[in-house]
Amino acid sequence: MLPRLSFECLHGCSGCEMALLDCGEQLLGLLDRVEIVHFPLLMDHKYHNPLSGASDEEGEIILPEAEIGLVSGGVANVEQLQVARALRAQCRTLISLGTCATHGGIPALRNQWTSEETLQTVFAYGSPEKALLPSEVPALLDRVYSVDEQVAVDVALPGCPPRPEMMLEVIEALLRRESPDLAHKSVCETCPVIRKGKGQGQGTMQRFLANADYDPEEPVEQMRCLLEQGLLCMGPVTAGGCGGRETPLCIRARVPCRGCYGPVRPGGNQLLDMMNGLASNGIDYRSLVDRKSLLRFSGGHGLLKPARKRKESN
Amino acid sequence: MSREAKIIAFCCNWCSYAAADLAGISRLQYPGSIRIIRVMCSGMVHPEMVIHALDKGADGVMIIGCHLGECHYIRGNEMALARAEVIADTLEDLGYESERFRIAWVSSAEPERLAEAFREMSARLASLRETDASPSGIGE
Repeated sequence: MLPRLSFECLHGCSGCEMALLDCGEQLLGLLDRVEIVHFPLLMDHKYHNPLSGASDEEGEIILPEAEIGLVSGGVANVEQLQVARALRAQCRTLISLGTCATHGGIPALRNQWTSEETLQTVFAYGSPEKALLPSEVPALLDRVYSVDEQVAVDVALPGCPPRPEMMLEVIEALLRRESPDLAHKSVCETCPVIRKGKGQGQGTMQRFLANADYDPEEPVEQMRCLLEQGLLCMGPVTAGGCGGRETPLCIRARVPCRGCYGPVRPGGNQLLDMMNGLASNGIDYRSLVDRKSLLRFSGGHGLLKPARKRKESN
Repeated sequence: MSREAKIIAFCCNWCSYAAADLAGISRLQYPGSIRIIRVMCSGMVHPEMVIHALDKGADGVMIIGCHLGECHYIRGNEMALARAEVIADTLEDLGYESERFRIAWVSSAEPERLAEAFREMSARLASLRETDASPSGIGE
């Protein structure tokens, strides 16, 4: 029997699945050696067991058994939690695919507010009425969780989306019963730009409103480090791997890294690490506008939370 | 609400830890809920260590080093000061009150100053807890 793969998409944009389909011919080579048993984005498959007699709305979620499960997106409502648990129960190895699944991702930006505040802002802004979800819609959890906060995950594969080749490599490694080889260093590790060292940058940070200073005729190796040019590049505090062993993707486009692979170490805090890095190099970190958005990809794990209510002193 | 505020104090080996030692020998009184962690230099305390302490349930965190200009490692405490500004600003972003963190400078011959810093921090956290306990939205 072929090894079975099971895919599930929770609180994400399904871009990770698109990236997997983007593998091209390599994907066809993989399809001959595995059986995909569950992939709601590609094939019709019911979540409920028709034989159990339960109605579709209330029935227990039942997923097929699989050797490898891949889950993208975070966990933000009760239904997603139910699906995540069902997937965990049925898969021998579970891979969290993409930054939403590994660190909360973009949806976790809403962890800065309570769920009630979010509903109010989105559905009833400026209205005195209280925004309520219809009862047919699954209730929201108190915040957006990464998958590993809710169920045990064996392999974390971040990225927005993860590099298609990397996804295949990980699946292939698991099929060979080896542990996959993932990047453990920062984006700067494979970045070839010119760095002149500590204290050589500008004293302030500016927003990326004008292009970086570079000659389009010359290769990226001739460009000065974007951070040293005074642009906020998240490279030093972001896990590498987006460009494989070659130049990171955003740097290829001469754009500063946005931090989409999440922190370098599990449990790291991109905001704190970046601010610490800037301050200990003598850069005025207060010149950063909206620094909270440095956690734009990794607001899960309780890193972003609503500000505590406090009494005004005056 | 009678529980004393738990405070983690990172003390540098050369000045403030020696001051804490002297405070003990001199039998100076300060709140018993202070947990001192000796580090070689205040400059080695990464902001993540402070956040980690708060995440794990500490009410407040202090970093205490040598007076500026008197660092055993020449510039370690200047590094600590740069990091302290970052911590104070970032705590609010991460959902903590900035009052929960404090940096102080104490030389090894100033145990009274250290005890005073401990007492002051403890009092500050106690008043913070009082405002927490009061219903929100009712300001003075």
